[in-house]
Amino acid sequence: MVVEGMTVEVAQASAVGFKAIGAGLAVGLAGMGTGLAQLGIGGAAVGATAENKEMFGLALLFTVIPETVVIFGLVVALLLLFT
Amino acid sequence: MFKVQRMSKLLIAASKDQLDPIVRELYRHNVFHIEDFVEQNAEGFDGLKIGKPMENAPETSTELLRVRSLSNTMGIKADSVEKEALQSAGSLHKSIGEELPAIEKEVAALVSKRNELESKARECEQKIQELSPFTSFPYDLSLLSGYDDFSVVAGHIPHDVKLPVDCEEFFAENSEGNLYIAVFKKSGQKEVEDFLSGNGFQSLPIPKECGDALGRINSYTHEKNSLEKETGEINEQIAALKSKHASYLVACDELLTADVERAEAPLRFATTEQTFVAEGWVPTDKAKSLVKDLESVTGGKVFVTEEEIDYDKDSVPIEYDNPDFSKPSEVLMDIYSRPQYNEFDPTLLVAIVFPIFFGFILGDIAYGLILLIVSVWLRKYLKDSIAGNQLLDVLRNASIMSIIFGVIFSEFLGFACPWEPFFISRHFHIGATEATGGGPDAIILLIISAWIGILHITLGRSIHIRNTCIQMHPGKHRSKVIFAQLGWIMVMWGILFLIWTIAAIPLMPDLTAGPMVTGFNVFAFIGALLIVAGIIGIGLDSALELMELTTIISHVLSYTRLAAVGLSSVAIAAVVNFISIGMMIEPAFADFGLMSFVMIIAGIFVFLIGHILNTALGLLSGGLHSIRLHYVEFFTKFYQGGGKKYEPFGIIRKFTEE
Repeated sequence: MVVEGMTVEVAQASAVGFKAIGAGLAVGLAGMGTGLAQLGIGGAAVGATAENKEMFGLALLFTVIPETVVIFGLVVALLLLFT
Repeated sequence: MFKVQRMSKLLIAASKDQLDPIVRELYRHNVFHIEDFVEQNAEGFDGLKIGKPMENAPETSTELLRVRSLSNTMGIKADSVEKEALQSAGSLHKSIGEELPAIEKEVAALVSKRNELESKARECEQKIQELSPFTSFPYDLSLLSGYDDFSVVAGHIPHDVKLPVDCEEFFAENSEGNLYIAVFKKSGQKEVEDFLSGNGFQSLPIPKECGDALGRINSYTHEKNSLEKETGEINEQIAALKSKHASYLVACDELLTADVERAEAPLRFATTEQTFVAEGWVPTDKAKSLVKDLESVTGGKVFVTEEEIDYDKDSVPIEYDNPDFSKPSEVLMDIYSRPQYNEFDPTLLVAIVFPIFFGFILGDIAYGLILLIVSVWLRKYLKDSIAGNQLLDVLRNASIMSIIFGVIFSEFLGFACPWEPFFISRHFHIGATEATGGGPDAIILLIISAWIGILHITLGRSIHIRNTCIQMHPGKHRSKVIFAQLGWIMVMWGILFLIWTIAAIPLMPDLTAGPMVTGFNVFAFIGALLIVAGIIGIGLDSALELMELTTIISHVLSYTRLAAVGLSSVAIAAVVNFISIGMMIEPAFADFGLMSFVMIIAGIFVFLIGHILNTALGLLSGGLHSIRLHYVEFFTKFYQGGGKKYEPFGIIRKFTEE
């Protein structure tokens, strides 16, 4: 898309803005994904731990597994912002 | 190191008259993990039955109950009692018969007096509650009761009413809920009740008192206060008794607990009419001295033999064998699961790598110092919790690494320190008016963390190969498992080779200009070969595992959280600094006025709260992500776990000695 009258500075500034929006979307959407995944796991994990304290380690493990998704989002955001 | 403690399985057999000295000796050594005997009617177990408790068991249990009930009444807890000189078991036993009843009597008298006073105070409270609706009734309360031919009703009513019978009425509008009292002939009782219930009347019990309500309330309040004062005095007396007898009672508790455990030990042994057999585990290096002592206390009338361990049938209790440095990390292992007997024990690796990961994520001198102070300060409150102290030690080590990484990254509460960062900068220039550099070295950090992942995962797979070599019998199946694990490593490094031939990445070998053979880069060829060989290795062991191939990439990328979470923590700190200083405090100083004071105070508040929250977040993310990398990415490569905890028979004495 070519916008008439757009100077190089404006184009660069727009690119930076779009990058920032992209980075925000990457972290935000990935965070929502992780949150949704942890919603069920977390509830079940707390229940299981309440029943049997020895389940804590395993429950914690299950709960943190979906966190990788948001970390990937964060990595993508960092790549967008700093490359 | 890297192995759990070696265990020996001992079988102790002796005649029943040796039961007491043997149990005493086992208890004293505190190393014998008893294998509970389960009665079974199988061949070879004829005539073996679970033993009976020793003769003194019921009396000792009763005494223990008395001591515990006394301790409960006085609120004595062993954890909160300061350790004094050890009391000897002999003199304690003697005193339990004499001193304990006297203390019991004294405490029981005080407690019963306190109960009496409390019940009287409750009665007064109830009377006050009954009387308080009648404070607006100015006459003697005795007028409301004691009639033969008249009935009296009293209660709350929304508005004044006129009874349809001959009566004397009293209505006080000012009181809460309006007080209404009526005296009428008994014959009109039903009529009055119907009328009142139709007018929203709520009846109140009529106090059996003489004099006016206010006077009576004052008198009861006075009585209640003096009762409460007396109760307070008795509580003080009980507290004085508590401080006087606390150390004696906890010592009795410890002694009697030991006696009860000893007396009930035969319930875990196999016995015949004349003999008993105890089976259990002892750390190998302690077995000899235990056997020697058993022989000496029984005068050689005991048969002890070391049985061969059957790894398919026996579940060996697990006790860690770590150097002091890595002992605190055992708590992190216990949260996941204890290793199995012949497995590699990764506690030492966790003890070294966990703090490094933590420091890499939360590399900030100030945050490290705060957590170091917290970990030392909290020790005061967690004197007797072994796991709690271990966790605090882990936090201490982690926060020291945090300070070291803070020096490397040159960070203090998100600000730059006076020196330049070594190798890597994580500084954000949020709100900087002019460019002061290119922002954090995010890409370098990500690559370093990916490298950490590659090496950590390779190490994990290598340990799996080591475990296989030790645990499995030589043969075709073992070779397959080893080849499969090598396969995983080969696929990972094969992918890396391919990536290096495609693009030049900082901090990674640049193989894009490798020698070409028949139009192909040699290194790309090596990479492809490694991947194919690896896939064959994995597939030969289990074709289903090939579905997991993508985890090679996702697990390595998962390590980038070390960089990503760390950068997010720095970004939060930088934002807090910018909001509090750049947007609030600095403008307030630049244009100083009355509002400046408010802005400066608000700025300091934002600064403190922001950094407190970021410290908590840093502790949580640093700790959770580091341990998660171990549990999910590292342990899944080799660790089985599921070992049974070693629980030796006996206690560590704190207040008594034999």
